[in-house]
Amino acid sequence: MSADTNFRLGLDLEIPFTGGGLRVELNTASTRIAVVGPSGAGKSTILRILAGVERRARGTVLVKEHCWQDSSNETWVPSWDRRVGWAPQETLLFPHLTVRENLSYGGALPDWVSETAALLQIEDLLGRRPRRLSGGERQRVALGRALLSKPRLLLLDEPFSALDRPLRAELSQLVSDWALDRSVPIVLVSHDEEDAKWLAEERWHLGGGSLRKE
Amino acid sequence: MALLAPMQLKGAVLSEGPPRAQQANDSVLLVLAAASLADVLPRIGDEWERLGGTPLVFSFDATSRLAVQASQSGSGDVFFSADPQWIQWLEEQGTVSPGSAIHFAANDLVIAVSRDISVPVQPDMLSGFERIALAGENVPAGKYARTALEQAGVWSELEGHIVRGGSVRGALEWIARNEVPAGIVYRTDAEAEPSVRIAFVFEGPGYPQAQYWGVPLGSTVYEKSAVDFVNFVLGESGQPFLREAGFSAPQSDILDEEEERYAAGDTGDDLVASVSSAVRLSLIVAFLATLVGLVPAIGIGWLLARRDFPGKTVLSTVVTAPLVIPPVVTGFLLLSVLGAATPLGGLIASLGFPIPFTILGASIAAFVVGLPLYVISVRGAFEAVDPMYEELSWTLGSSPWSTFFRVSLPLALPGIAAGAVLAFARSLGEFGATVVLAGNVEGSTRTIALAVYTLLESPSGREAVWVLVGASVVISLIALLGFEALSRRQKRRLDDRHVR
Repeated sequence: MSADTNFRLGLDLEIPFTGGGLRVELNTASTRIAVVGPSGAGKSTILRILAGVERRARGTVLVKEHCWQDSSNETWVPSWDRRVGWAPQETLLFPHLTVRENLSYGGALPDWVSETAALLQIEDLLGRRPRRLSGGERQRVALGRALLSKPRLLLLDEPFSALDRPLRAELSQLVSDWALDRSVPIVLVSHDEEDAKWLAEERWHLGGGSLRKE
Repeated sequence: MALLAPMQLKGAVLSEGPPRAQQANDSVLLVLAAASLADVLPRIGDEWERLGGTPLVFSFDATSRLAVQASQSGSGDVFFSADPQWIQWLEEQGTVSPGSAIHFAANDLVIAVSRDISVPVQPDMLSGFERIALAGENVPAGKYARTALEQAGVWSELEGHIVRGGSVRGALEWIARNEVPAGIVYRTDAEAEPSVRIAFVFEGPGYPQAQYWGVPLGSTVYEKSAVDFVNFVLGESGQPFLREAGFSAPQSDILDEEEERYAAGDTGDDLVASVSSAVRLSLIVAFLATLVGLVPAIGIGWLLARRDFPGKTVLSTVVTAPLVIPPVVTGFLLLSVLGAATPLGGLIASLGFPIPFTILGASIAAFVVGLPLYVISVRGAFEAVDPMYEELSWTLGSSPWSTFFRVSLPLALPGIAAGAVLAFARSLGEFGATVVLAGNVEGSTRTIALAVYTLLESPSGREAVWVLVGASVVISLIALLGFEALSRRQKRRLDDRHVR
């Protein structure tokens, strides 16, 4: 199933600042990874570490043949060089930009923006400001922005939580196909088993201070 | 008025009979006296108290300001004036009884120069100095100085060189600090200041002398003590102290025509021109201060909002200090760093940008005093922006620098504009630091605040004061309304979730 046979994700991290402290050891060749667990367990933190916006963790982050972090020799690849498509749980859209400007923020060409917007059924919203969007619309714009950033890795944080069930199924399928076509691995975190079911090939459970493969 | 006269009130309450006849044991005389008497009068006062006189407290300032205060507050017991004009004015106001004033001393005007200048200086050589310090034009020392220079026939060629300190002491301070090479001050002040040298004394017919008069104020409840103290200063107890300090004996033949000549003062010249000049200058200075402050305020505000670094507390404290340090102190510190006689100020001046007594100096003073509000507003604006917007931008391939211009700055923009408006408003009101660093020079540093202060020294300046007060209030209120509107807009801009 995996289109990228060379993919590897390796995490070996001490995360003392979240919850009661967290030890994360993950090593996989899967390109569809779901991390599930109760809220507050540190799921979002793992994505923030992968996105390169959280620097307090100690340890190593290996993605494919690249080392993004190695605390032992102070290796650190900054966010802007990692090319991850991060859709955080808060679905923050830049409030001073229109939907179109949000989508093309990562440098996507207009045609591609229109195409993706049509795919996500948000083409009618392109001229709007974020404050005039519903929760579900916001979530699709945030997802679109992540897809349009030419990511090497998609980081999805509860990506469908604000969508109703039929749309959720449709979009899950869509993202799944999209990622498959382009060989983009996905790391998804969710407290919802359903989300994980649609996308994941491999599920990890986060709880009690550690990460376990299910 | 009662609030301004605590001592009289106390005396009146404690005394049993009519206050004028009473002399309560804990009574104190409030003596309002010309600034040039600040050294000698307390010494005479000590002698008076040693001999059992009523205890004294002194308030020293320019005669002109004290006269207006005495007349308007209805408080004080004795008034010592450096100018008979103001005694006459107080008589007209009914503040003192006609004929009750006593002429007790005179003081020569001198050309004081920095100790570094060892060559003799005559009045006709003054035009060779770039700047000449005088006291304010409505302050007696300033008026006498002008009369002396007119009498010497050099006033017209010096007009562009004159810088005005608030009082004669202010002018002397500039000479002592070498910011100004020469000035016209009282002989007594020059003698008391070791860092200056008396280069020339305006002596002889036609030259004015400051004439000192003492008078009990109508508001006093200790009339006998007040009269006694004035006579004490005039009499054989007080005169040796005055002589020792450099005052001369009172002269009876005051030149009436000289008095008349400067009676009109400078304020009568052209009120409209001076008012519009002050308003224009205020706007220019505030605008320059706001413009110059923009980049530092954004830079420092962002650093304080987003970065942790060693010395952050120090930076924050230094930048916001002018908010709580008295502006006069700020001005003094700036003069110590940026004055033409200092290494840094000298360097800047040698590049063609002298700071003291220039619009540049006024703008720097306004900038420094306005910066705290600027930085605090900008910092607040950046702190209100969720850092996750910036993190998102990084993951979308924008470097921190690019992110700053694409996300942080646009989102904080209304808050930054609000800070600029606040700094502008604060700069408009700046007085203390400006008067010390940049002086009170009409047309280049006399802003609204300084113009009001100057006009308050002159009874004829009242209408102009109200025009300036009105302008000041209107501009400030407009600025604050702008601040409110921009602050609301900042909040709206960050609100990306519409309540549905």
